[in-house]
Amino acid sequence: MRQTILFYRKEMLEMARNYKWIWVPLVFLLLGVMQPIMSYYMPEILQHAGNMPEGTVISMPTPTGGEVLAQTLSQYSVIGVLILVLSMMGMVASERQSGVASLIFAKPVSIVSYILAKWCSAITITAVSFLLGYAAAWYYTVQLIGPIQITHALAAGGVYLLWLCFVVSVTVLVSVGVSSTGGVAFVSLAFIALLSFISSLFAKVFMWSPSQLSGLAAEWLHYGESARPTFAILFTSIGSMALLLAVAMFIMRRKSPIGTHA
Amino acid sequence: MALLQVDRLSKIYQQHHAVQDISFSVEEGQCVALLGPNGAGKTTTINMLTGLIQPTSGGIHLYQQGTKVEDRRPYMGYLPQMPSFYSWMSGREFVCYAGQLHGLTRKEAEQRAAEWLQRVGLEEASRRKIGGYSGGMKQRLGFAQALIHRPKLLILDEPVSALDPVGRRDVLNLLRELQQETTILFSTHVLHDAEEICDQIIMMRDGRVAIQGQLDDIRDRYSEPVITVVAGNASNPQVKAWMTEISRKPYVLRSELQRESMTLTVSDLELAEREIWKDAMQHRIFIRRFEAGQSTLEDLFLKVVQS
Repeated sequence: MRQTILFYRKEMLEMARNYKWIWVPLVFLLLGVMQPIMSYYMPEILQHAGNMPEGTVISMPTPTGGEVLAQTLSQYSVIGVLILVLSMMGMVASERQSGVASLIFAKPVSIVSYILAKWCSAITITAVSFLLGYAAAWYYTVQLIGPIQITHALAAGGVYLLWLCFVVSVTVLVSVGVSSTGGVAFVSLAFIALLSFISSLFAKVFMWSPSQLSGLAAEWLHYGESARPTFAILFTSIGSMALLLAVAMFIMRRKSPIGTHA
Repeated sequence: MALLQVDRLSKIYQQHHAVQDISFSVEEGQCVALLGPNGAGKTTTINMLTGLIQPTSGGIHLYQQGTKVEDRRPYMGYLPQMPSFYSWMSGREFVCYAGQLHGLTRKEAEQRAAEWLQRVGLEEASRRKIGGYSGGMKQRLGFAQALIHRPKLLILDEPVSALDPVGRRDVLNLLRELQQETTILFSTHVLHDAEEICDQIIMMRDGRVAIQGQLDDIRDRYSEPVITVVAGNASNPQVKAWMTEISRKPYVLRSELQRESMTLTVSDLELAEREIWKDAMQHRIFIRRFEAGQSTLEDLFLKVVQS
């Protein structure tokens, strides 16, 4: 436990020293603010675009607050996920590559603490960044577009955060398994994209998959309810995150901390 | 009393036998050098000792007050060949972190970090980021982080190979001091260093132990009388002929001729010396340098490696 806290503090310090604590929240904040503002000014932007024929009348249905917030989440699903994976791809892989892992693991440290601390710190920055961005999006949506039911927004935000945590867990596992940081980013993103794609293709089979989380959040914002099996999805998501971490620890134990061999 | 016992240790990578069946033991308070050319399996052996890689077969046992310990790592300090650190930490932060990973409290770790950083000569740089350290400074930082928990056994992989002569001298002096406090096992291919500070050597070749034992025993057993002669005026064709003639004498066991010098392994030092001088006088050969002595560890090493 003591060691987990020690590792966690080191991760936090590292993220502060290389400015991750600035740019990751900033990206989420920007994405969050952009969507409601864009929606608000969209008619005017189009009017000033210039290449419209003379006398065009643009009439767009005004989106509801829930819809705008859901669009924000879909921004996060692309750029947010990309940023998260890129900022965390080196978590384990680069320590092993640089050789500092051989100094750390020659000391009486536990792999469980090591992985757990990496995961917790990644979750911390993810949660803070997302909640900040989401709160900003919510605020601007209410100011510019229209009201949102508080319970719906909270539930959707919570569910969506769980999806981001799942993404982080995948990245942690891949960072343990794959040696090069570029490879980590590629494999993680490919896995997440593939999972989302396949589960939208075979919705019946993947009814309980964690990839349903983002859809679940969007539906709650749109309609205030969802036909998806909410609790089953939550259950499998949390379960699969635990599994991903356990596999990461297992692989770390099997694979030597120094290397390419073994 | 044995501190470390290595028993028929092997490591096989796919088809490649990196280490085969090596056994040795290290007594408490000793200084042991692991010698061998590049690729002999020194680093693989060290990585197995530190627990960083799992042996394919064989056992490694560390004894603490006579009883075998389950986890060796708390009792060992390790410095790899090219240590790398978190470049965003300062030297003091890293050593302190290392101490805490060994179970020291923050306060203890800070205090000892300051002591060790001073001892390795890094106190001035201790607040600077490691990213700006030179190779020699990193090596010294590596010592501090390996020693902060007062290990029973200090394991070093090529601690001096990458350093300049001044850095090397510093590290050797530090090792000599540390010898009083702890048991040391280090690998090197600089034989001179091993000869200077070690009690025991283990010479490896192709993943096997070629020769091992106390340095003095090995010296007694393997060293041979050697004479080195540097003859003057190499352009003189007579010199060459004379050297060739000498190398065929019955008291010369082996010879090695260079342009103007020769190194002879002889059966009887005194006899050989007298004969060579007499012969040189007769042929009016000018001798610029004449050295009679014993073969060094380096000669033995070359013999082992090349055989």
